[in-house]
Order: sequence, then structure tokens, then C-alpha cells
Amino acid sequence: MVELEHILPRVQKPARYVGGEWNMVRKDWEQTPLKTVFAFPDVYEVGMSHLGLQIIYHVVNNRPDALMERTFAPWVDMEEQMRRAGIPLFALESRRPVRDFDLVGFTLQYELSFSNILNMLDLAGIPLRAADRGGDGPLVVAGGPCAFNPEPLADFIDLFVLGEGEEVINELLDLFRDTGGRRGDRAEFLRRAARIPGIYVPSFYRVTYREDGGIASIAPVREDVPAVVTKRVVRELDAVPFPTRPLVPSLGVIHDRGMLEVQRGCTRGCRFCQAGVIYRPVREKSPAVLEKQAGELIRHTGFDELSLVSLSTADYSRVDELVHALLDRLGPGRVSISLPSLRVDAFSVGLAREVQRVRRSSLTFAPEAGTQRLRDVINKGVTEEDLLSAVSTAFGAGWSAVKLYFMIGLPTEEEADLEGIIHLARRVLAEGRRQNVPRGRLKVTVSASSFVPKAHTAFQWEPQDTLDELRRKQARLREGLKEKGLVFHWHDPEVSFLEAALSRGDRRLGAVLEAAQRLGCRFDGWSECFSFARWREAFHRAGLDPGRYAYRRYTYADILPWEHIGAGVSKGFLVREHRRAMAGRLTPDCRSGKCPGCGLCPTLELEPVIIGRGEGNVPLPHTIQ
Amino acid sequence: MFRYRIQFSKLGPAGYLSHLDLVRTFERAMRRAGLPLAFSQGFNPHPRFNFAAPLPVGVCGEREYLDLELEEELPPDELARRLAACLPEGLSVAQARPVPPQSPALMAVVQRAVYRVCLTLREEAADEQLAEYLRCLLNLPAVTVIRRSREGVEKSRDIRPGIFSLAGRVQGRRAELEMELQIGGGGNVRPEEVIAALVEQCGLPASPAAAAVTRTGLFPVT
Repeated sequence: MVELEHILPRVQKPARYVGGEWNMVRKDWEQTPLKTVFAFPDVYEVGMSHLGLQIIYHVVNNRPDALMERTFAPWVDMEEQMRRAGIPLFALESRRPVRDFDLVGFTLQYELSFSNILNMLDLAGIPLRAADRGGDGPLVVAGGPCAFNPEPLADFIDLFVLGEGEEVINELLDLFRDTGGRRGDRAEFLRRAARIPGIYVPSFYRVTYREDGGIASIAPVREDVPAVVTKRVVRELDAVPFPTRPLVPSLGVIHDRGMLEVQRGCTRGCRFCQAGVIYRPVREKSPAVLEKQAGELIRHTGFDELSLVSLSTADYSRVDELVHALLDRLGPGRVSISLPSLRVDAFSVGLAREVQRVRRSSLTFAPEAGTQRLRDVINKGVTEEDLLSAVSTAFGAGWSAVKLYFMIGLPTEEEADLEGIIHLARRVLAEGRRQNVPRGRLKVTVSASSFVPKAHTAFQWEPQDTLDELRRKQARLREGLKEKGLVFHWHDPEVSFLEAALSRGDRRLGAVLEAAQRLGCRFDGWSECFSFARWREAFHRAGLDPGRYAYRRYTYADILPWEHIGAGVSKGFLVREHRRAMAGRLTPDCRSGKCPGCGLCPTLELEPVIIGRGEGNVPLPHTIQ
Repeated sequence: MFRYRIQFSKLGPAGYLSHLDLVRTFERAMRRAGLPLAFSQGFNPHPRFNFAAPLPVGVCGEREYLDLELEEELPPDELARRLAACLPEGLSVAQARPVPPQSPALMAVVQRAVYRVCLTLREEAADEQLAEYLRCLLNLPAVTVIRRSREGVEKSRDIRPGIFSLAGRVQGRRAELEMELQIGGGGNVRPEEVIAALVEQCGLPASPAAAAVTRTGLFPVT
């Protein structure tokens, strides 16, 4: 066990490092054969807001033969103290060093946490490269959305879990236990693990490159591993374990409330959106199960707020019924309900009005693009009228602040699309004035992020805008959005550039990540820590140009770095979607009953689970968000 | 309305919670315990409970107090038992007892706090040497500290009248001090200010940053 008492007084928020939260599971170390640790490569407050952590913690700790503890990236002040005192990365539950565990599992939520993964391995005293680790250290695994292009991390991770983890984690742990665990034959374990659907063992694949730097081939080096590893999907969401006794952080975290997942997947098919692909198909939970889980969750946590989480909760076919049942059930105990994301329409605002008695926060809408033409390109079927009716309802219901999310640098973007953002923001502001929202309180916040092409989307072949272009576009918006009541937020384009290089990266980026960690890169998603100069130096040392990754336009015939990773949708569908995008043609929502033919259901041999198909508020195709 | 005074301790991992964290943690524990909580009025109702005095991050508390209001009467032992069963590691309830609803708020009552401060000295010392340092401080006509407000405005203040007693023991280099200091509406004296004054003005060979502080009692609490 590591001693922390002498360093904790020297760091900010020491509660990040001590554990002891309600519902924490601390099992007997000696009596439990499989010891695993969930590693979240960001600070405690971010990691503890993540539902995936709670789910996997719950699933593993439900096994009598396994324990799962937690570790987070120590903030820079704590890292400094730990390195100075020679304290290795440790787990909160037992305060044992991470390197003493049998399995370390990282979650890959965003590319900008990759440097933290390497830094955490380094702090744990675990050799960064899998090839340097020998056979008796902890097995290092990773999963989560960024595992859909895991290649930049291929050198550091023993195996990746693709897709939903609830079921495959048990298969993996069974195999690990049966092959002798940490002290077993690691090579034999990996060979067998690679045959579990959804498990990708990068060392079993060889990548060759063309002279121009492109990829010539990606092929398995063994006959008994699949050429393409396809993601895992839970068939029946009602039936898998859901954590109704989640850890309740004592320290204020980002999402400090109960989280009830109402469905998984989103049917809308926005063409830039990776989540829309990798969580397909949509699977709704039944209202009866949700009501039961909501009651247990509140009873076992004491939260005063329950958030109905999913990619688009207003799309849940029984959302009205569920919200009313939950208000009736939880209202008397003064528990409020919240909806994390709103569709751009009056129905969603109406729903928000019902659940939110206090209009304290602002409402957020994501039209994503400034003109109908560009919204059609990205398949965001929202119209200007949808947005205006939504904000009009919101102002009428007492909200005085709205946030609008846009993206700049989307494929085919023109000057008119930037002007469109300015025009929309001003129309929304005018609507607020028309509704007599007090001048001092009326606020329209426009947030513009920069488009990052993502693997397995229709836009995976598209280049990112250059840094200069993004800066110029931001300057135009800043200029055009100068007015009382308008606030403009933008993202550092250098961060988006790095994100693009990593998200479209191949195995060669391993050398860049290693150099970046040595140069001190960490917490790249935090503006106070991000240093573009250090990353530029890391690319330089590895002899690679980040622009080659971010700015390259792939052809349909190119072998992409993630060619051997299967998200379930067919390449033919993505090509078709890309062509339709260029033609400005919409593709219907699969909830509408018209199958857009993404190929996922036949590949995975399942179907969308939509409980109220054809009833309730299932949106018509023209209200697609 | 029924009001109860709860004596609790905040130790171990809970010692690292801020006051705000502690409020949140108690509220959730009270909700889990299914207590018939009385809520504040307004759009954003909260259970009605108040602490005697906030504890800073990193300071443990052995005998802390809070007053809790309930809508229904509960046997105090049952209240203590149910709440204790729902508290996370490091927080525990020693007892609960009813107090008259109209009695003054705890915060207005408390005037003195006793702290135990553990320090590692840079060199070995005897009890008598330590007593000498403490006497030095108590003999100072004034102990001026500079406090910076949240807005960055500096203010100086004499804390000497708020130091009621100082005592201590040493074993080798480990010193353990007991201090009784002013707290509450009349002003607070912080134990780390006293340590800093002992180091800077009386030459105590220790580093103020490395002190482990525990509040052992609050007075007068009836």
C-alpha cells in the first residue's frame, strides 16, 4: 500500500486520490483470484462522470472471482509530488500500485487523453511498449469509442475490446483465469483471446506501407485470427446488468447526478457523427425496467437528480410516458429529472419545460451548420423553422439563455455557411427580444467547434480544414457575432488539428506518442496543459508530419488505418452516404421504418429495438435532427 | 418541525472533503436513510441542516455537530442509527438528541475550538523546550497575520486575543500540540496561523506545511 498522507496536504483537491465513496467495492485481495483496475485517463471528476466506468465496475465486481478498483490520471500537482516521493500510480480502493494488478483496463473516450495513458503507464512503472513488458506484468487492455481506430495505441496495448463491454469482459476474464491469469502463458492467452468476437490483438496484425506513405496492406500474421474484428453489441439492453448502486462521489464531479441509460444508439445518421455509427443499432429499454432501475438508483445513491442519458433521449419512443411516470414516482422525494441533450424542436423544449421546474440553466441546441444546404450535406434534417420554433418555445417558457452548437470546417463549407451561422444566431436573439426576454438576461451563446473527420463515418475520407482556414473562419464569426446578447465560443484549432491527426492516425504514431510523453505532454484536453509546440516537436522527432494525417483526402480505394476494425456498417453504405452528402441528399432516420441500408443489422444478426414503433412521438423524417 | 443535534466525526478519507463536499455527502446520506427531511422553501428545495463550523480541506474532526430538521418525530437513537448506516467511509455518527426548535443556531453558539496538531520537528526536542516556544508565543503582545480575501484584498489582524491556550508534548522529533482557539461569529483563528507564528516569531524548528490538524472539540455545545 502506498503512503499518501505526507503529500496530500500539498495538492489541490486531495479527495480525488483517497476513495472511500458510498458504494465503493473493496474486496479481499488475497481471496480474490482476478485483480483488475479500471484506468480512466483523465482527472477523477471527469472519470467519475462516466457511465461506462460505473457499468464495468459493477459487472466485474459482481463476479465472485474478480475485483475491480479504479485509478485516474493524477493532476499535474499530484504527479509532481508522486514522482518526487517515488510513489507509483495506485488504485483508490486498496491503494496498491497499479502494477500489482493482473489486468489494467483503459477507457478511450477521446484522442486527447492518449498522452495520459502513456504517462499513467509510466507512473505505474509499467513499460510503455507491450513488446518490452515481458510476460508477467499486468495485461494492459483498452476499450471505448477511440478503440474504433486504435492504431496509434497499437504498440502500447495488449488487446482492445471493440464495442460494448458488458458481456465480452466476462468472456475475457474467464479466459484469463483459465489460462493462468497474470502468471499464465501470455502468448497462449492472447492467441485464444483473439478468437473471442470483439477482441483485437494488435500484435497479430502486420501493416505495410507504400512508398508514398499510404498503407499497402493490413493482414493477420496468424491464420486463426480474423481479418476484420467486428464490434460487440449487447442484444437485449433490458437484460444486461445496470449499476443501480453506482459509486457516489463525495467530491463535486462534472455530472453529479444519477445516470439512467434509457437506450443505446441513435438512428439519425448525422454524417459526421461517429457515435451514431459505433453505438448502432438503437436499442430501447422498456419503461417498466427503467422505472424499476430509477427507483433503485435513487434509493441506493441519495442523488437529488436523475438524468435520462442516451445519445438523443427525446427520440426514446416512450419518453413522454417515462418522464411522467418518473416525475410521479420521484417528485415527492424532491428528486428532479434532467435530459442531457435536446433535439432541435418544440417537442423537446416542451419536455424540458415539464421536467425542469427551475429555469436556471440555459437550453442547448445543435443545428451544427448555418444553412439548409450544409445541414442537408451532413444529414442534419433540422430547418431554420425547427430551430426558431424550439427557441421560441424556450423563451416563452421562461428560459432567457440558449446555446447553439455549430461546427466549422465541415465538408463543402462555403462563406455562405459561415454567414448562415451569424444569421441564425441573430434571428434567435431577435426572437428573444420579440418575446420580451429582459435585455440584461437574454443571452445567445454560439459555440463553434472545428470538424474532425472520424473513422467509420461517411466523412472518414474527408480532410480537415487547415489551421489557417479554421482561424480565418473563427475570426469571421467573432466579427459577425459582436452584439449585446451574443457570446461566441470557439475551440483552439491546434487542439482540433491534433485530434484529427490522432483520430485518423496509423501505427506509426506510436513513436509520436512515446516522444510526446517524454516531452511532458499530458492533459491535452485541458487548455492550461496543452502545448502544440511540444506535439510539433514529438512529430518532428518521429519523422512524421501531422498534416499528412489531418489533411489527407483518402480515396474510396485507399486502405484506411482502421480497415481491419469493424463497426458493423458496410463500407458500401459509407461510400453511398458520402456521395449523397456531396449531392446534398438526405437519408431517412431508421426509426421512420425506412431502412437506409447501413448493413449493420445483417452483419451483427440483430435488429433495432424500438418499443413504441409507430406510436407516440416518433418523429417524422422531416424533423430529423 | 423537529430539530435534532447530531454529533459526528470526519476522519480518514472524509478528512479530505471540503465543506461543500461534506454538505453534499450528508444530504445524500440523509436521503438514502429515508429520513423524513424538512425542506427549505423556494424553487430549489434543500433539506434543512446546518453545521456548527466548517472544517477546511484536510482537517479531520472528532467531535463535530450539525442540526437537522425533520418533518416527523423520530427516536434519536433510531435517527442516529439510520444515518450512520448510510454514511461513507470516514464519517460516523456518535449520537443524536432533540433540541428545542427555537434554540439558537449552532453557528451562533460555538465560540471555541480545540485542535490537535501533529508536527515533525527538524531536530529532537524535550517537552520543556517545546513549552518554551509556546510560552514565547503566549507572551507576545500581539500576533499579526495577513489575510487575503477572495478578491485579493489584504487585511491584517491580531490573532493573539483568540489564542486561549496552548500545550504540547514531544517524543523525539514528533510534536503534538493542543490549542484552544477562537471560532464563530467573533472571528476565527486558524491552527496553521498559530503554527506559522510559532515558526516565524518564536523559532519553532518545523515546517508549517507539514502539520496534520484535527479538530477535537467545539464549545460550548449543549
